[in-house]
Amino acid sequence: MSLTPAVLGMLAFTLLAFQGVAGLALVVTLRQEGRKVELLEHQDRIDTYSPKALAELREWIENNPDDPLAERARRQHNTCVETLRETDRRFYDWSDEEIARLERL
Amino acid sequence: MTNDEAKTARAEWGTRFGFLMAMIGAMVGAGNIWRFPFVMGDNGGGAFIVAFLVLLFLLAVPGLMAEVALGRYSNKGVIGAFRDAAGPGGVVGFGVVVLLVNIALMSYYSPVIGWTLYYAIHSLLFTFTASGFEAVAFMDAMFANGPLVVGLHTVVMGSIAAILLLGIRDGVERIVVYAVPVLVLSLVVMMIRGLTLPGASEGIAFAFTIDWAYLTYSDTWIAALGQALFSTGLGWGIALTVGSYLREYDDVPLGGGVFTAIGESSVGILAALAIFPIVFAVGVEPDAGAGLAFVSLVQVFPEIPLGSLVAILFFVGFFFATFTSGLLITEVSVTTLSEETGFSRNQTVIGVCGGIWLLGIPSAWDVAILNYLDFVFANWGLPLATLMIIGVIGWVLGPKRLRILSVNQNAGIYVGSWWDPLVKYVIPGVMLFIMGYFAYDNFGTTEMYGGLAVLVLFPVVGYVLMSVVDGRRSPAEATEVPGGDD
Repeated sequence: MSLTPAVLGMLAFTLLAFQGVAGLALVVTLRQEGRKVELLEHQDRIDTYSPKALAELREWIENNPDDPLAERARRQHNTCVETLRETDRRFYDWSDEEIARLERL
Repeated sequence: MTNDEAKTARAEWGTRFGFLMAMIGAMVGAGNIWRFPFVMGDNGGGAFIVAFLVLLFLLAVPGLMAEVALGRYSNKGVIGAFRDAAGPGGVVGFGVVVLLVNIALMSYYSPVIGWTLYYAIHSLLFTFTASGFEAVAFMDAMFANGPLVVGLHTVVMGSIAAILLLGIRDGVERIVVYAVPVLVLSLVVMMIRGLTLPGASEGIAFAFTIDWAYLTYSDTWIAALGQALFSTGLGWGIALTVGSYLREYDDVPLGGGVFTAIGESSVGILAALAIFPIVFAVGVEPDAGAGLAFVSLVQVFPEIPLGSLVAILFFVGFFFATFTSGLLITEVSVTTLSEETGFSRNQTVIGVCGGIWLLGIPSAWDVAILNYLDFVFANWGLPLATLMIIGVIGWVLGPKRLRILSVNQNAGIYVGSWWDPLVKYVIPGVMLFIMGYFAYDNFGTTEMYGGLAVLVLFPVVGYVLMSVVDGRRSPAEATEVPGGDD
């Protein structure tokens, strides 16, 4: 057995797919953590959902108003909406127009 | 994040890094070091990696997201989380199954940690590079010496108890934030040493040569499936427990899912890069299990320059890998039982560690008992635990509800609806398949009957126990039954 280009290519792919992805995930999540810490030093709370995730949560609540977990979902939704309205800096990529359109449930 | 202990009386991870290292420390164990490299090389190298990677993203990443999210959703241990998901009653007993499997697993894993401790101590004493050292005789003498392994098992459980007594942040987190980086650093240094030896390329070629034909063999996919499920510790209650200590604004899917599954697997790849170049450079046959760590590697250390130091790095790192797993496996029972009983955390730590120590004595005394239990629980007990956890998420709580309420809350990445059928159908289906496959493959053996006993008795015992226990709870104590599905 010898180090053919195919073996070296596989080695490079493996390092990229495993060590590369793990390293990237680690850096991104620690950076996000840093950003959250920075926001929490500036204000006492931060938005808890991205625009897409909050829209999905809202749609689920509207479609399942009698679900036993609807109240919890409503509370989480409203907490995020209130935070977005009452804070000036956001963790997720919210525009002012998007926030203006939000309503409590 | 901010010091917001006032918001909750429950312990929390002190830092994001602490949570991530706890996940990696729990999931990286003996299998990553002494099993993964050989399985990879023996199943088509690059072809195995492709199969493994596909299964990681298909099963382990979504499964770990679900398990960590359930922990964060409930902020409770295994039984409490099952009660939050299903409401009080017999179904909560399926959480007891997870607990019983963890206790059984730890009872025979503790002696394995004891073996690695023994080898770590002897590496520090330069035993392996002393003249006249015989690797096989040394290993056989350890396995045959019941009192020695019982003593090591006692030291291991005593040390785990001492750390768990300090709590989540001051005990577990303080250990894992150092132990995991030390393990990774040890393997990196060993890899560099190995790659600079003449003949090291043979080891790289063994591990990374691509034979695409292996992708058409069912054995390759079964091996990759086993590695993707068992190595990542999916569904054993560990990720649920670690996730239950997450802080208010912590992410689940990026750290608990992607980083944990890929990060812990990358330690296995690193182990292959650290071990095989050295093994092949010296001309020793590659092996798996105890044969690889305790014979093959021990034989090559005296043959390479700076072999004594490489031996210390390897065995100390190996010990940390197994010890941190043992720490978190035990924490599953401690967290759950301290919540479910009237005992304090300290009393529970003493009770759980004492109980595991007692149950582990037969495995420590006789390696045949350890091997039997390992076979039974690896093939049926652990998949059963996974089926219970993923089953309760997929079929009782509902994946969509968990996704919108917990997975995507404070998330570093958005998880879409593709996740729901994976959790509801694919992972439980795969677990049923793997248990059936192992039963077929071992039909009529004593191991299969042991596995059948676990598959039948554990759920029955759990169901009856929690029907009685939860039946006695006053209505005020009973939480609302979420029930239903999405």
